[in-house]
Amino acid sequence: MENLLVNETLLVVLILVATLVSVVARRIRLPYTVALVLVGLVITVWRPLDIELTPELILSLFVPPLIFEAAFHVDLRLLRSTLPSILMLAVPGVLLTTFFVGAIVALGTGLPFATAIVFGALIAATDPVAVVALFRELGVPRRLAVAVEGESLFNDGTAIVIFRIALVTAVSGVFDPVDGLFDFLQVALGGMAVGLALGWVTAQLITRLDDRLISATLTTLLAYGSYLVAEQMHVSGVLAVVVAGLLAGNLGVTSTSPVTKSMIFNLWEYLAFIANSLVFLLIGLDIDLPQLWSNLGSIAVAVVAVLLSRAAVVYGLSWLISLSGSRARVPPSWRHVLFWGGLRGAISLALALSLPANLPHREILQAMSFGVVLFTLLGQGTTIKLLLKRLGLIERPEHVLERERHLGRLLAIQGGLRRLERLHRDGVLIDEIWEGLRDDYAHTRNTLGGEIHRLFAEHAELERELLLQARREALQAEHGALIDALRQGLLSEKIFSELRADIERRLEALALIQASVQSRRQPPAGG
Amino acid sequence: MSSIICATRGGEACRRTQEKAVALAKEQGAELTFLYVADSSFVGPVDKSLADAVTDEMARLGRALLRVAQLRARDQGLAAQTVVLQGPVQQSIKDHLRQVEASTLVIGAPRTGTPPQTFTPPEIQRFAQAMRQDLDIEVLVVT
Repeated sequence: MENLLVNETLLVVLILVATLVSVVARRIRLPYTVALVLVGLVITVWRPLDIELTPELILSLFVPPLIFEAAFHVDLRLLRSTLPSILMLAVPGVLLTTFFVGAIVALGTGLPFATAIVFGALIAATDPVAVVALFRELGVPRRLAVAVEGESLFNDGTAIVIFRIALVTAVSGVFDPVDGLFDFLQVALGGMAVGLALGWVTAQLITRLDDRLISATLTTLLAYGSYLVAEQMHVSGVLAVVVAGLLAGNLGVTSTSPVTKSMIFNLWEYLAFIANSLVFLLIGLDIDLPQLWSNLGSIAVAVVAVLLSRAAVVYGLSWLISLSGSRARVPPSWRHVLFWGGLRGAISLALALSLPANLPHREILQAMSFGVVLFTLLGQGTTIKLLLKRLGLIERPEHVLERERHLGRLLAIQGGLRRLERLHRDGVLIDEIWEGLRDDYAHTRNTLGGEIHRLFAEHAELERELLLQARREALQAEHGALIDALRQGLLSEKIFSELRADIERRLEALALIQASVQSRRQPPAGG
Repeated sequence: MSSIICATRGGEACRRTQEKAVALAKEQGAELTFLYVADSSFVGPVDKSLADAVTDEMARLGRALLRVAQLRARDQGLAAQTVVLQGPVQQSIKDHLRQVEASTLVIGAPRTGTPPQTFTPPEIQRFAQAMRQDLDIEVLVVT
């Protein structure tokens, strides 16, 4: 009982610290995950806490909600359009990273190649939490955010599978490529199958029940349940959570009422915040500075190996994708973001901590892992914003801002006018005042309308985008009407699915047209 | 009665071209048709149902934009027609001109310094020249 109280107090204190750090980080515009690690480090130096960050704690408690939340928010339509590049980076990319890092580390530190390969695998998974949070705040192109997040989602799974194979090889000294490939496929595909089955069932239940509390509970069960079931079956728990999250977010929640949708989104935003806060604070608290200091040389080699490998994989594979003529080609500016945004985090540390005690050079591998995570978080995490600015990915053209400004004013005027109309109807405003105010509002509205027309005349793509947005909203309303008709029994499940598929296809088509408009490749004809 | 075809992408950016076509039709007492071509070839290789959806949505976008042009023409006292075609832009325009035996094509030239459109300024001049030669019609490029 006393132990429980101590742990509960510790948890409350950690959450309190995380909340305060998050408030301060927002004010000084530092990624809050970076700030959490820094504060954790300061606390460790000032007054070390007796907290053990175990791999089980990270993998079973923190990773499922973090991955589920990320997958849950990914738009499958956008994911599909970037899938070839994501899969290239997440499968061959992870294999190549493992090999490159392993080779450089073996050469640079003198570690046995098999041991260095274990490090290569555990450090291959990217963890862009800090970067993605920044993306959301700064409004970088959605497809770029999906590419970064999508790569991280899938490479977590592949890195863990490769890590396990590499570890067995390092311990036993035997590696059979055929067995290795078979194991890889079995674990990866098995995990995805578990996620697919549980995710699909849950999505159906969420759609049919459409009860905010039950649906929220179901998503929580799915996040942890899919991980546990997959791990029990000795297949990839992480990939199970990824697929389950994608299905729940795209098939389940999109068909529910706004109340349910809002409840689930808020719940997962909250859970991800808590999990992220705790995991990064604990990383800071768990860093053993003297150990890092005594392995500084190896850490420097590891950092160089990770950066060189990331550069080779991102630029090399992107070039290959561009040669294939795929639509999912990665624009040059995005390649720099993918390279520098390839931060390492919780998964790498969990794997490093899970290394068996009898593994030779275990301490060096752990020190290198913590060192690389610290470098990527503090070095890359704090400078990625500068890179985005330099590449012009967060600076929206003035005419786009101008359209937004006009649109905002126009919407505000409409709101004001509606309110005045109501006051007049209720007899609060006398006729003369109402007419005076109305005419004034109408004049401003007409002026703004003229400004918007002028902008459209100069920037045709803005008008196209507005039209596409309107059409998208109309399609979403059509979708809502179909759900209502299904609930009222006016439509059978078969016809509902058929019509919904058509709407989803049209939304996907609009996303493609929108991408074309944005890339200034104007599809329609003439002048 | 002669027939004028105004090939347009629609929207405010093409208003001058459309107004010119309306003025010409009224002056000549000709029939005016606004033509929009939905060319979905930019999507590349995707499954057929998605490609069809892209073409269909582009055509819908075109109909909405042409409807605006039609209403503006009506405000100026002219009853214009609208046609939305699907396919490669230049070939579709040419086929349509031939099919309806149009007397005049009105088309807008992109302004220098604007983002790349379907036609670059030299392309539009080449296309206009080709239409004059191949179909023996008047072509008015509105700048």
